[in-house]
Amino acid sequence: MELIVGGAYQGKQAYAREKFPQAAWVDGAACTLEELLGAGGVYRFHDFLDRQMRQGEDVQALPGLIMAKNPDLVIVSDEVGYGVVPVDAHERAFREAVGRVCCALAAEARRVHRVVCGVGTVIRDV
Amino acid sequence: MITVVTGGSGSGKSAYAEDLILSYGPAKRIYIATMFPYDAESDRRIERHRAMRRDKGFTTVECYTALSEAQIPPGSHVLLECMSNLVANEMFQENGAGGRTVEAVMDGIRMLQKTAAHVCIVTNEIFSGSQSYDEGTRQYQQNLGAINCQIVQMADAAVEVVYGIPLRIK
Repeated sequence: MELIVGGAYQGKQAYAREKFPQAAWVDGAACTLEELLGAGGVYRFHDFLDRQMRQGEDVQALPGLIMAKNPDLVIVSDEVGYGVVPVDAHERAFREAVGRVCCALAAEARRVHRVVCGVGTVIRDV
Repeated sequence: MITVVTGGSGSGKSAYAEDLILSYGPAKRIYIATMFPYDAESDRRIERHRAMRRDKGFTTVECYTALSEAQIPPGSHVLLECMSNLVANEMFQENGAGGRTVEAVMDGIRMLQKTAAHVCIVTNEIFSGSQSYDEGTRQYQQNLGAINCQIVQMADAAVEVVYGIPLRIK
């Protein structure tokens, strides 16, 4: 698994497509869980988490599921949680969930890339 | 020796900071807890942190304001978690330092530096959200930002944790 994170609008998807030109991509804002588990790459992964949470799904099991069913997946996610704690309870829970899920994914990933202004830096490589 | 650990919310900075304190070896370990239990959500957060540090040999010292008056055993290894709560308490609680928040917090940090053998301070990156905040929130960002700059200047090391991965910034 490869994890690519960074703030919104930093060129993460372009970076990912260049790094992994063979991957068949799905959009986390629209795909199903089955599609995600069968894809080569998923972008807007944080939107997938948001949709799952709004449907009442527990997203903490997702990293284990991905490692078991699709261990070569390339995951592109916004890095959230760098602003003031939001007033809205769902927003707070969402930030927390993205953090916990990405911590679990990062611990299992072959590499973690962080993209700032279109420039990717590998911050973990095992 | 002071180490500052920063990161976004849910970035894994607490787990990293606890491991760091344990890596300093056996000593009296003090956990300075600054989160005020004001509702069910903060109760859950506090319980999660308690579970994380269970069996790691920490004595918890609750400190919501007036850090400089906290009772810290000399030579102990101290984990302060977290600066963002301490600053909010000083600013917004009735018995807090109010307009003297930055000075009050820095007095506390200097006390820790003198008393403890190792100090690890967990703080929070809250500076890259939007700018549509009210005056009080902006003042809060300004105070925490100023404190973060000052404590990192005093510190021997500073680390930003990104999803459990430490990036050394000093």
